[in-house]
Amino acid sequence: MRRTYLGEFEEVVLLTVAVLGNGAYGVAITDELEQQTGRSVSISAVHAALHRLEEKGMLSSRMGDATAERGGRRKRLFTVTVLGSRTLHDIRAVREQLWNSILPNTLPAISI
Amino acid sequence: MNERKSREEGERGVAPPRWADRLLEWFCAPHLLEEVQGDLHERFSRRVALFGERSARRQYAWEALGFFKPFALKRQQREYPSPLFLHPAMIRNYLKIAWRNLANNKTFSAINILGLALGMVSSLLILLWIQDELSVDNYHANGPQLYHVMQRQMYDGKVETGRFTPGVLPDELKQQFPEIIHAAGYTGWDARMTFTVGDKINKESGHWAGADWFKMFSIPLLAGTPTTALNTPNSLAISRKVAEFYFGDPTAALGKSIRIDNKTDYQVTAVFENLPTNTSDKYDFLLNWQDCITRNPWMKDWGNNGPHTRIQVRPDADVATLNAKLKPFLRKYNKELGRSFNAELFLQAVPDAYLYSNFKNGQQDGGRIEYVRLFGIVAAFLLLIACINFMNLATARSVKRAREVGVRKVVGAMRSLLVGQFIGEALLLTSLALLIALGFIYLILPSFNSLTGKHIRLQITDARFWLMLGGITVVTGLLAGSYPALFLSSLNPVRVLKGSLKFGSGARLFRQGLVVFQFVLSTLLIVGTIVVYRQVNFIQTKNLGYDRENLLYVPVEGELTTQSAYKTFRDELLRMPGVASVSSIQEAPHNIGSSTGGVSWPGKDPNVLIEFAQTSVGYDVARTLKLKLTGRDFSPAFSTDTTNYLINQTAAKRIGYENRNRTGGPAGSPVGQPLTMWGKPGKIIGVIEDFHFQSLHTQITPLILRLSTDPGSQNFMIRTQPGQTQQALASIEALWKQMNPKFPFAYRFADEEYNNLYKSETVVGSLANYFAFLAIFISCLGLFGLAAFTAEQRTKEIGVRKVLGASIANVVTLLSTDFLKLVFIAILIASPLAWYVMDQWMQHFQYRIGVEWWVFVAAGVLAILIALLTISFQSIKAALMNPVKSLRSE
Repeated sequence: MRRTYLGEFEEVVLLTVAVLGNGAYGVAITDELEQQTGRSVSISAVHAALHRLEEKGMLSSRMGDATAERGGRRKRLFTVTVLGSRTLHDIRAVREQLWNSILPNTLPAISI
Repeated sequence: MNERKSREEGERGVAPPRWADRLLEWFCAPHLLEEVQGDLHERFSRRVALFGERSARRQYAWEALGFFKPFALKRQQREYPSPLFLHPAMIRNYLKIAWRNLANNKTFSAINILGLALGMVSSLLILLWIQDELSVDNYHANGPQLYHVMQRQMYDGKVETGRFTPGVLPDELKQQFPEIIHAAGYTGWDARMTFTVGDKINKESGHWAGADWFKMFSIPLLAGTPTTALNTPNSLAISRKVAEFYFGDPTAALGKSIRIDNKTDYQVTAVFENLPTNTSDKYDFLLNWQDCITRNPWMKDWGNNGPHTRIQVRPDADVATLNAKLKPFLRKYNKELGRSFNAELFLQAVPDAYLYSNFKNGQQDGGRIEYVRLFGIVAAFLLLIACINFMNLATARSVKRAREVGVRKVVGAMRSLLVGQFIGEALLLTSLALLIALGFIYLILPSFNSLTGKHIRLQITDARFWLMLGGITVVTGLLAGSYPALFLSSLNPVRVLKGSLKFGSGARLFRQGLVVFQFVLSTLLIVGTIVVYRQVNFIQTKNLGYDRENLLYVPVEGELTTQSAYKTFRDELLRMPGVASVSSIQEAPHNIGSSTGGVSWPGKDPNVLIEFAQTSVGYDVARTLKLKLTGRDFSPAFSTDTTNYLINQTAAKRIGYENRNRTGGPAGSPVGQPLTMWGKPGKIIGVIEDFHFQSLHTQITPLILRLSTDPGSQNFMIRTQPGQTQQALASIEALWKQMNPKFPFAYRFADEEYNNLYKSETVVGSLANYFAFLAIFISCLGLFGLAAFTAEQRTKEIGVRKVLGASIANVVTLLSTDFLKLVFIAILIASPLAWYVMDQWMQHFQYRIGVEWWVFVAAGVLAILIALLTISFQSIKAALMNPVKSLRSE
């Protein structure tokens, strides 16, 4: 099966949505990403990625609640679809297979 | 939502930058906006708490700009997008349907397009003409500051208004009023003078003008400067045409000398570009003002009026105040004023003067602007008639398109789309018509120009021209297309497709109303044409009291201006075989303009001023003009005739004589009574029957003829024997060459000169002719189309009638009466309207024919006949059809 290609950032965003469970929306995902990866992430990039993931069918979304600090605007809450889940699993399987294929002591040691 | 947001944030007092929000709302796709903006606001409010407002605002803007990305810009596609009205596929469909409709009904399409094209041809021509009329004298850079100084004279219970002013007025005005920067005199009369340079001799016509002339008017100088162009008594400014004729080149002419009338040498101080055609001052040369006053010493006197005065005021000058100051201005200089005679000055703007030239009782009273308005209305009428054709045919034939409308509606066309489609179709047709119209105009513009005496060209480079074309196309398209569009788009699709569509009587009534309206306009134009034609004809053939056939004028000039040469020339002329009689006159007998109050007689009331038209004449004047005379003519046999006078009947009555009998002699007749003119006492030797020595627009006034003592002021009037004019002309020219070789032989015919007086009426007459013809033609096109349509609709009915025994005549009558009824109603409506309009027009003539009842009958009969002819073709065709064929089709 020809798997849909996922970029690194898209993969991370998809994983973050999974991490956040029911509360995955733009701001929360951005915060979580910044916290987890330690790099600064622009909100527009996150939105773009979410949009593309939804187009690819790996995310589904629904409108959530409005809050006062959002000026009464609703959030869009994302959940990972079956396709998204399978894709994540596939990627992980490929990685693990690769890791397992590396002979011991081939990689230079990184711990002091 | 916006309001809610701003209210909430207003309460908190902190809000993201407005501009960034606005920008985001503008560029972000609507379906994404809510979440994106919400997220941004959430982050903003957190940042306000963490970092303070300024930093939060800055970051907000930065992040908002960050969304300027393709995913956010791209608008969401709807699942079933409704094609845009201007979608290429729809446009292609509209064009295809429009074309099929055109091609399927060739007759109707041709009628529609041809009618529209003709309507556009006429209205475009009229618009071009109007544009040209409006541009006359309206091209000077100083235009808004240029004024004619006009004079209003009040005497004898009358008010005369004109441009005549004292010759010394311009200089005095410039000195007295600081708000007048430039002032120039201008001789209103045309001087035709003989120019000699080496062996080149020719007659040129020009004027005298003040030194400021070229500073005031935008006439480009090819050589010389505006300041020096006319500043010395022997300055001469000539046009490019004249310069090229005598010197070959405009710049070569500067500084050269030209001998005028074989007497005085003038130096060319300026060469100006040939005057544009849209100017009312026409001259090929200008001479200095001082020279004019030297030649005409009477111009120094404040009591004598003649030349025009033009001024240029400062841009900031208050014209109303200046007008008020000018009103009593002449009283200071002319002590005669104020008793029985008064005169006031006032200003008229130069750009207005051409169109608003008539004055009645001292007040502005129309002028050419009336023709401009009249033809503007005619243009609108013609276009309207063509549009009505379109509307009528389109709605009449709407049954054919009803099904298309039904289907379109069923598959989702909104009414606005259908309206757009039909109006678009009308616009398309109109554009097609415009192309044809432009072709037509290109072809007939030369004849139109020669008819109107204009030089109109299609100004393809002028944006205004294209604007005009675009404007006329859109207006026509909308006018013609709107009603059919509204009508067709209102059809109920269910009923249309069920086939149970019945048109109410409303639409038919409306159509009939339009036909009536068309024929009202056509009848109006026909009546107008007949009346104008009759009046013009009346003018041209009116017995003026003198005979203008076989009469020619030759100026007395050059060698002939001495008494002896004048006499010899006259004697030689009288000996020629083709010459019937010879006299001379200062001003043309159809246009005696100068007048005087300096006439007295025993018993005259000193407080009453009576203005007499006057001119000087030669011997045998009454005989040469064929005037009816009581008493005797001026004659060489009486040496005292230089202080004797001829007066007309009006003058005799005004003086107080009752000219009861025509035999002359007995008491009560003015003949032999004393009369003093300009201080010279003399006698009245004859009374001439009133003749029209001025335009028929004005009434006959008192006239005095005096015997000339200065041949140089005269023009020979030569009456030739009928049928021998050509031979006479040849022998006169031979004699002229022999006696006066330095001057070209320039003669003019009296009847031609006379007809020139009524040029605008003649032009209006023939234009009205053409446009009336066009109007009726276009209306009939429409009628033809409607008749064809009705005949087609009633094919079955006619077939049944014929089977049951109707004759051809029955059927023709059946089909024709409906239309004739409409035409008849139109005539009833049009007649009183036409009578009113024509009666108004006739008021401009003091001597006129009445608007008679038979004119309306003639116009009505004509309209009915033409309509009948148009319809009968179709109805006879329908009536002749074999009923077997028409009934077989089902």
